[in-house]
Amino acid sequence: MGIARGRKAGPGVETRRTPVRCGGVRIRGGLGGVIEFNHVSKIYGKAKALDDVTFTVAAGSVTGFLGPNGAGKSTALRILVGLSRPSSGSATVLGLPYAGMACPGLRVGTLLDAGARHPGRTGREVLTLGAITLGLPRTRVGEVLDLVGLTERESRRTVGGYSLGMRQRLGIAHALLGTPAVLILDEPANGLDPQGIHWMRRLLRDLADSGCAVLLSSHLLHEVEQVADHIVMIGRGRVLAQGTTGELGRGRGLEETFLELTAHADRGPGSTASPGSTASQEIGASPETGTGRGGA
Amino acid sequence: MTRAGDRPTDITAPSPVTKDDKMNADRPIPFRRLLAVESRKLVDTRSGMIIALVMVGLVAASVVARGAVAGPKLQTLVGTAGIALGTLLPVLGILTVTGEWAHRTALTTFVLEPRRHRVVAAKCLPPLLAAVALSLFAMLVAVPATAVVSGVQNVPAVWEVQPLALLGWTGGNVLVAAAGLALGALLLNAPAAIVINFSTPVLWAVVGRLDSAGATLAEWLDLGTTAAPLTSGDMTWSEGARLATSVAFWIAIPMAAGLVRVLRKEVT
Repeated sequence: MGIARGRKAGPGVETRRTPVRCGGVRIRGGLGGVIEFNHVSKIYGKAKALDDVTFTVAAGSVTGFLGPNGAGKSTALRILVGLSRPSSGSATVLGLPYAGMACPGLRVGTLLDAGARHPGRTGREVLTLGAITLGLPRTRVGEVLDLVGLTERESRRTVGGYSLGMRQRLGIAHALLGTPAVLILDEPANGLDPQGIHWMRRLLRDLADSGCAVLLSSHLLHEVEQVADHIVMIGRGRVLAQGTTGELGRGRGLEETFLELTAHADRGPGSTASPGSTASQEIGASPETGTGRGGA
Repeated sequence: MTRAGDRPTDITAPSPVTKDDKMNADRPIPFRRLLAVESRKLVDTRSGMIIALVMVGLVAASVVARGAVAGPKLQTLVGTAGIALGTLLPVLGILTVTGEWAHRTALTTFVLEPRRHRVVAAKCLPPLLAAVALSLFAMLVAVPATAVVSGVQNVPAVWEVQPLALLGWTGGNVLVAAAGLALGALLLNAPAAIVINFSTPVLWAVVGRLDSAGATLAEWLDLGTTAAPLTSGDMTWSEGARLATSVAFWIAIPMAAGLVRVLRKEVT
């Protein structure tokens, strides 16, 4: 129901029904769209990085944002958190433009690039800076370190010596600092070992089950398939398909759907992809059924 | 190996989130917190710590060395620290404002505080305060240095200082730090800003000797020249006008342009 109801609820309209508890924060608009992309386009010169992207993410669900490299996933997420401006359209979190929130870090946890850290800072220091900014007690640093399984010793090493997997854990710890109701993660599974991937799946599932809205981008199909309730597939800046994980994978598996829809994006114009594959498709039922296991 | 995955993840139980925190989400981050974070970032890495220690060490060393050579003259000793500060404060300013772009930590910083101008303001204050603090530190070191040199060399100490001159000297140190901040904000690239910072005095020396027009240009725009009367303690109106012109050229205009750039920049 995400899309339809989310629109009507819209910014500013609060449907004060039973509030969903997640991270101690009430979510506005009940189970409607916690994250909403409304016809977002982004044009760099002549290139369209994003073309009329519209989708919502509901509370209590994990939405996988899938697409090949260069499809526009990171651009969309940067627009969502106000680091980049859309050429047209708008994106909102909890009914507000992200940059319009007073202290967004206490509502929204974000990990855009685990590698974007000062190599000379310790992991603990990175989290301490975040905790000070958000006005959280320093004890919160130890809590999120525990939560992501970074040891005391590891936390006192500089990030320059971290493996990518450890950086991802640190990034997730940072995103969880403010006990957010919304999580936005760009390629969080990159560099994680199988153990780490299993851990992350469970963490995201638990967060969603406690009411969080989770949006994670990835090109790792199988990882997303196992954790996401809802999938948004993007290629060349356009939403190619969206629906529940079951709907998109029905009969032929998610990978098959993905490869078919994104074939043209990989091989470029003049490829053997069927002409129909460039059009935005709705697989399975109507988008109204899109919240999947939301609220389960 | 015990990772978090080995036990159930309990998200809400250890959470310190209270009603206060919930309300805090609707309140902007107080500026003092941003200031605390940006100040901390100056010294929480090894490189930052080294820069800080080098600055303190150089100030102390230059004061003491000058004392040994030039004799126990308090004001002269204090002024010597200006060479170290004039060299290092602009670099501190440049590194402070460009750091977030070098390591792409802007990605995190601006997500926590999307009002970027507040972050820039919080970044600019610590180097300016450091300029004042280091100026005071130089005076503090100069007093015992003067006394000791006087005793060792058996020469009477010259304690006379012009308070206005010391104030002007401190102001000059703040200005060079501000010039570094402005240049860094404009270019958002530390190597480029540092090269320009160190090559401008050479450039002015050349321009000033070209012809009369070049000399006039240097008189009005070279911050090194225009700020010099500050240390004399009595500045004429025309000197003030020249200083204001060069401050506008090297600090106000690049800072304004840099701020606009930071506010509009796509963070990637």
